[in-house]
Amino acid sequence: MQRRRTIAAAPRRTATEVWATICSLIGDTLERSSSINRAHVDTALAPLGQLARMLISAGHLENHPLVLVADDLWLEISTASGVEALTMDENLNPVPGGGTATDWTLHVPQVEPMAKLAQATAAGQAHLSADEPVEQTQSSASAATGVDVEALAAWARERA
Amino acid sequence: MSTSTWTTTYTYTHTATYLSDVIMGTIADVLALLGITPSDSNRWDEDQAAIAAWIEEQSLEMVVLECRRPDGTARPIFEFPIAYRAGEGQFENSRASMARAHAKISSVPSGSTYRLFCTFRMARTPQPGWGPGTRASTAGLRSTSFGSLADAPHASADLRYLR
Repeated sequence: MQRRRTIAAAPRRTATEVWATICSLIGDTLERSSSINRAHVDTALAPLGQLARMLISAGHLENHPLVLVADDLWLEISTASGVEALTMDENLNPVPGGGTATDWTLHVPQVEPMAKLAQATAAGQAHLSADEPVEQTQSSASAATGVDVEALAAWARERA
Repeated sequence: MSTSTWTTTYTYTHTATYLSDVIMGTIADVLALLGITPSDSNRWDEDQAAIAAWIEEQSLEMVVLECRRPDGTARPIFEFPIAYRAGEGQFENSRASMARAHAKISSVPSGSTYRLFCTFRMARTPQPGWGPGTRASTAGLRSTSFGSLADAPHASADLRYLR
């Protein structure tokens, strides 16, 4: 299940505020799963905070998104700055697909000149990676059912 | 679905947030390029917030990044002069051209560190984590202008490189 979210950066938000928004989006998405603990997600993302601020401020996430892979969920998170950041509509809702996840990895883009820093930051972290996300996951997700079962269930609950 | 919208009235806060973000992002790229370890995220937040506050009150004249070598010399040095004007212009930056200029930036020895300085054109509001300091001499350094780094409705930032 491939999804994209774009977060408004400067001048609407500072890099620190953007990172907090991204962490909330990831946490809100993954905590729908009974297998994933929200506090553990927050703890796992913390080591990325410094590099994330640098990537956001330097504009790298505008063209090289973070990619959250959680079983069938493939979520690309990018940023927008300038006038676009002030005029865009954001969707900060939890991303459908997180509810069935049992494990997750956030892939950090290896963009120069921060590639080495990305590798060093992700090294030894269970849920962070500086490797390219595995294409198989994306392919199998694309081949999966086109119906978002979780979103459908949520809609049904709202209607009930 | 929760969505959010924003008006297109540009404020000094927008200008300050945008310029401080581009300046800190450029500093981030330079430090990564030179292999200098950045400060922790708390210090990074303080620096970004201070630069934004001083741009917003229009007291900031220039941000200076000094790369300190293990032998105590400061080289290269990056200067980010700020120019203020009436509300005109758009949010634009030259990050792409900066990326092409990375090859011109000389390397530093392992173990080098960095310091940030700000100079002022008028009295400023004190900011957490910032105190008086003395810049290194720039005598004997060659200056190269990279031109405009970022433009915003109420101010702009240029970039100079001294080596």
